[in-house]
Amino acid sequence: MLNDIAMTDRDAFAIGALVYLGAFLFGLINLLIRKPYSRPIMFALLSGGFLLQTLALNLRGAEIKACPLGNLFEISQFIAWSLVLLYFIIGPVFHLRLLGFFTAGLAALLSETTLLVPAWDHGYTAGIFGGNPWIELHAALAIFSYGVFAIVALVSAMFLIQQHGLKKKQFKGLYQYLPSVQQLDLIAKRLLITGVTVLTAALVFGAMFWIDNPDLVPLFKLGVTCLVWIGYSIVVVLRMQKKLVTRKHAIACIALFLFALASLWPVQSARGSAPNHNLAPTASDAH
Amino acid sequence: MSEVLQSLFVLGSSHHEAPLEVREYFALTAEQAQALQRDLRAHESIRECLVVNTCNRLEIYGLATDPNIESTIRDHLCTQRGISRELFDAHSFWHTNLDVLQHALEVSSGLESQMVGETEILGQMKNAYAVAKETNCTGTVLNRLFEKSFQAAKSARTHTGITRGQISIGNVAVDLAGRIFGKLSNSRVLLLGSGEVAEKTAQALKSRGVGDISVSSRTYENAHTLAHALGGAAIEFEDFAQQLGHFDIIICSTAAPKTILDRTNLAPAMKQRPERPCFLIDLALPRDVDRSVEKLENVYLYNLDDLSSIANENLELRRAEIEHARTILKAHAWNLWLQLRRRELMQSKRR
Repeated sequence: MLNDIAMTDRDAFAIGALVYLGAFLFGLINLLIRKPYSRPIMFALLSGGFLLQTLALNLRGAEIKACPLGNLFEISQFIAWSLVLLYFIIGPVFHLRLLGFFTAGLAALLSETTLLVPAWDHGYTAGIFGGNPWIELHAALAIFSYGVFAIVALVSAMFLIQQHGLKKKQFKGLYQYLPSVQQLDLIAKRLLITGVTVLTAALVFGAMFWIDNPDLVPLFKLGVTCLVWIGYSIVVVLRMQKKLVTRKHAIACIALFLFALASLWPVQSARGSAPNHNLAPTASDAH
Repeated sequence: MSEVLQSLFVLGSSHHEAPLEVREYFALTAEQAQALQRDLRAHESIRECLVVNTCNRLEIYGLATDPNIESTIRDHLCTQRGISRELFDAHSFWHTNLDVLQHALEVSSGLESQMVGETEILGQMKNAYAVAKETNCTGTVLNRLFEKSFQAAKSARTHTGITRGQISIGNVAVDLAGRIFGKLSNSRVLLLGSGEVAEKTAQALKSRGVGDISVSSRTYENAHTLAHALGGAAIEFEDFAQQLGHFDIIICSTAAPKTILDRTNLAPAMKQRPERPCFLIDLALPRDVDRSVEKLENVYLYNLDDLSSIANENLELRRAEIEHARTILKAHAWNLWLQLRRRELMQSKRR
């Protein structure tokens, strides 16, 4: 059925990214004219972008006959896809105002940026995961945890904006539509625990493969992955002990996500230069 | 044009025409307003009559058969209130026909209110209308006028920003509490002192779901009385500092000459509740809370000036919407005018 679609995967990625951008601009224009945006329209636009991105990932997956997580472009697209998927799950549960707007912004940024750098979408040999379903599960879970961390970073950014508004006695524009600081802080904490749990599960699946094939995983990738996991785990522990709360917690979540995102490029480069990379299922396919 | 509609009138005085000391002379009790309405309706030249009487305005809407009824009504009111005709004439207005419709619509929408966009006036007009209708003082014209004015008010509120933002200190504080805590049902409030604004703010918080209110005052009896009125508990003034960590919202309005809350007593309290924010509302003059507490993590301090400035900015935003609302109401008034004229023409043809 996918063969009948007269559209390349990159076309679908591009249109999906444009729809995300449209959703972000729709929210931005409404905020600039000091009107709350229509949630159904925002939801519809994000759904449109999400469906196109799902189609694109399916087309890519059909082509490589595996989960499309083989290069920086695919990983970024998958993170954006996970982010929007999570918005559909937590948006209606927590009724977080403006989350759709921020999600659209980050999804547009991730997907547009990767489209603008063709080198990130370099070719690789099909069957990069060696046909091992556990490694594919590891990769998908790891990337999904990055989607969770992305939404934690968004919620943390919303917290910092709202807190800044309250401290500086600002109440107009964006501030009046944001959720309460306490609600944002609590949701960031819950999502962070979820993200670390998912990443831990991903690493456990990856470790089972790594123990049997240690030579196939570049040490740099392993190191960075462990750093990300340790970083997030420390934040969770400190949060549970109430030693890293509210503002500092929000800053730590944003900083860690930026670090995790920034580490994708060098890690991908390391994989590209690793021997037998076409056969190398990694313990860190988020990386 | 029908002669009857030419005699649709409104005579009134409000904060636009009269200062407070003059409005005091015109003020009527509810019984006096009803008596005036009855007396005017009993007049042979008045077919319909309705009196709107609030703290800021006295307005007599009517439909007369005599186009020169104005002087009669003015005399009647001045005699009843024992005020000079010159004083009343200098501080009152008289509108007829289409202007009556436009005026009624603007009043019910809150455009004519001192606090632009306030909704209390709509309730007051609905009450006045219900009383007049029940006592058969109104007829088809005023019934239609008032019912349509309520619809038009809703339309103006929906399509413009005249009700956007809070304009009272209490409601601004409640809005801010919402931005800090979200739902207020789990928030615990402490009132330090028993000032009137603080009491109103506590009542506003209570109306938004706050269930746990404690009061502490230098005079324990005052604290006890206020706590009883708010359905809360009283705390000895000497003990409040030890219990600060239990409260999410602290409203200060004591007459203390120096600050009673500063970093030395608030910082330890915040350590007991690192994940929960604390909202300090300082309504006292001189201030009860040292400004340095603002630097504490998770503490949000707002004093009377901060709240007033938000209320005033909201009021300015509402004022900026007046012309937009007026344009919407003009269309409603014109439609209503055409409907009333059509009805009068039909009735005169039948006659």
